[in-house]
Amino acid sequence: MARVPFYPPSGVYADSYAKDMRILKTGTQRFLTVAGLVLLFALPLIPGLNGSYYLRLIIGAGITVIACLGLNILTGYCGQLNVGQSAFVMVGAFASGMLTAFHGWSFWASVVPGGLAAAAVGVLFGIPSVRLKGLYLALTTLGAQIILTWVALYGITVTAAGFSVSPVRLGPVVFNTPQKFYYLAMGFTVVMTFVARNLMRSRLGRAFIAIRDNDRAAEGMGIDIFKYKLLAFAICTFYAGVAGALLVHYMMWAQLESFTLQDSVWYLAMIIVGGLGSIEGTVFGVLFITVLKELVLVVGPMAQGKLSFLPMGAASGLLLVIIGSIAIFFGVLEPRGMAHRWSLIKAFYRLWPFGY
Amino acid sequence: MLVISGAMNGAIYGLVALGFVLVYKASAVLNFAQGYMLLLGAYLFWFSRVTLGLPLVAALLLSVGAGFLVGILIERLTLRRLIGQPLISMITVTIFLSLVLEGLVSMIWGTYPLQHVTVFHDSTIRLGRLVLTTQSLLAFGLALSVAGALIAFFRFTRMGLAMRGVAEGHQIVQSMGISVRRILSLSWGLAGIAASIGGILMGGTLGFQLGLSQIGLLAIPAAFIGGLESPEGAVLGGLLIGLSESIVSGYVGNAAGVPAAFVILIATMLFRPYGFFGLERIERV
Repeated sequence: MARVPFYPPSGVYADSYAKDMRILKTGTQRFLTVAGLVLLFALPLIPGLNGSYYLRLIIGAGITVIACLGLNILTGYCGQLNVGQSAFVMVGAFASGMLTAFHGWSFWASVVPGGLAAAAVGVLFGIPSVRLKGLYLALTTLGAQIILTWVALYGITVTAAGFSVSPVRLGPVVFNTPQKFYYLAMGFTVVMTFVARNLMRSRLGRAFIAIRDNDRAAEGMGIDIFKYKLLAFAICTFYAGVAGALLVHYMMWAQLESFTLQDSVWYLAMIIVGGLGSIEGTVFGVLFITVLKELVLVVGPMAQGKLSFLPMGAASGLLLVIIGSIAIFFGVLEPRGMAHRWSLIKAFYRLWPFGY
Repeated sequence: MLVISGAMNGAIYGLVALGFVLVYKASAVLNFAQGYMLLLGAYLFWFSRVTLGLPLVAALLLSVGAGFLVGILIERLTLRRLIGQPLISMITVTIFLSLVLEGLVSMIWGTYPLQHVTVFHDSTIRLGRLVLTTQSLLAFGLALSVAGALIAFFRFTRMGLAMRGVAEGHQIVQSMGISVRRILSLSWGLAGIAASIGGILMGGTLGFQLGLSQIGLLAIPAAFIGGLESPEGAVLGGLLIGLSESIVSGYVGNAAGVPAAFVILIATMLFRPYGFFGLERIERV
């Protein structure tokens, strides 16, 4: 993916490597980041926005951001197409949910094992990536989705039926309402985003990008492809597992129906709409698709009344047509994702009024 | 018995897989909307047979012609505009396309299964211990002959030669006076035909319902096992998948057919990364 490189604005000099490596280079960036974080965590306090409806939306988006960040690290940075992300979310969800529900672990202790369980399965399905590329690899991850769902449905009794999970506790606080869970979810999302951002500008991230651009050349430069590809799979599925652990403890109910092929396809669509190989693009894409899907849920019941002359289920069909058309239109208009447009806007702002 | 019914379904999977291969060969795009093109074709057939009350052959021709047009329309409206853009955004667009097609179908015909209509006259034939229905025999024959016709078209006609040329490289073919756009539309149209026929035949046995689009999911491993570049491979892969699906679900049960297809696929991929007949890409740094 072509990225617009970051030219620091005039007057900002990097006189040491440490300064050149900083994520936030200018005062404006630092101010906006702090302001954004404060706004994010103050949101439940603002009247009008603190209804459960908006908070639920944002919590859902936050958890999805975590899963999509992992996917973007694997697909966007390392170039390995993964069409089975929601199956790995499922592995993390069930692993962590079973630890808390049946073995009496606390949520905090079960997040990392949940992530690790997903990562172990992910590495297993990542092994074919040594020889496979592109679409052929996508097929093995599609297979992962179908095989893992089948195992959960027919192989394990507990996961087939679904089970309830007790809410997260921290000392006396029980995170059982959207207002409380919001802080937990946002905390995880912010930390995971920061970690992803940092990983991707390190040696690891550069190795991934080299493999994406040309794996033979990367091997020639001394990057151990096998190791790094599996590492990318492990990181991706670890993120998925953490997202899954959060999801079950947010819904307080673990069920198979939350993890379908459709979800995997949506995750993929989110990072592509947002921008492959871009952390901020992941967030944009998740927000865009979440809002689009929500529109369907809001407009759907309203349209159902007006369209009673059409057969049953016609309204949902109409909305599928609308959401699909918007997404196609968007894909045709902005094939490089929203992150590309974002960097163009940033460049415009930075260079204004001397754009040329 | 399982072998026979597996082979019957397999021929249809092979035909649908052929649709994947046609589009992939011409434009390197994996068309995720294939399963929904199939659905639309099946519903169009139902529409012309039941709602319009046309005779069988007319209904078949009409719905297959409509499938061809749908394929061309899809190429024209969406993928034409994406030529030269990253491959992955083209593939995403086909994913969104499947939403639109599914929505269209459920908007016009609703989400419930439609009244059952047999494609061919149904009667049973006994061969010793085997029980066959004429329905599935005719479906098998039609699927294989359409697949054969498409392969022959691909191999022996000028148009087919041009299509194979487009698969090699757009610029070269363009400079030899072949219209790449025409060829791309044509390959989508042919994929639409393959999908429609597959959908109609499947609809005849499984009933006309939204679940028909799942066949796209089984045709994908078929196309990959055969190798994405090979039409013959797609048909053989389809037969293999059909056989394994019916044998595994017959002996193991629990809808194990689809996962089994993917287990076979992954095993194949480990030893033959480009499928059995696929083209091995030689890469230079």
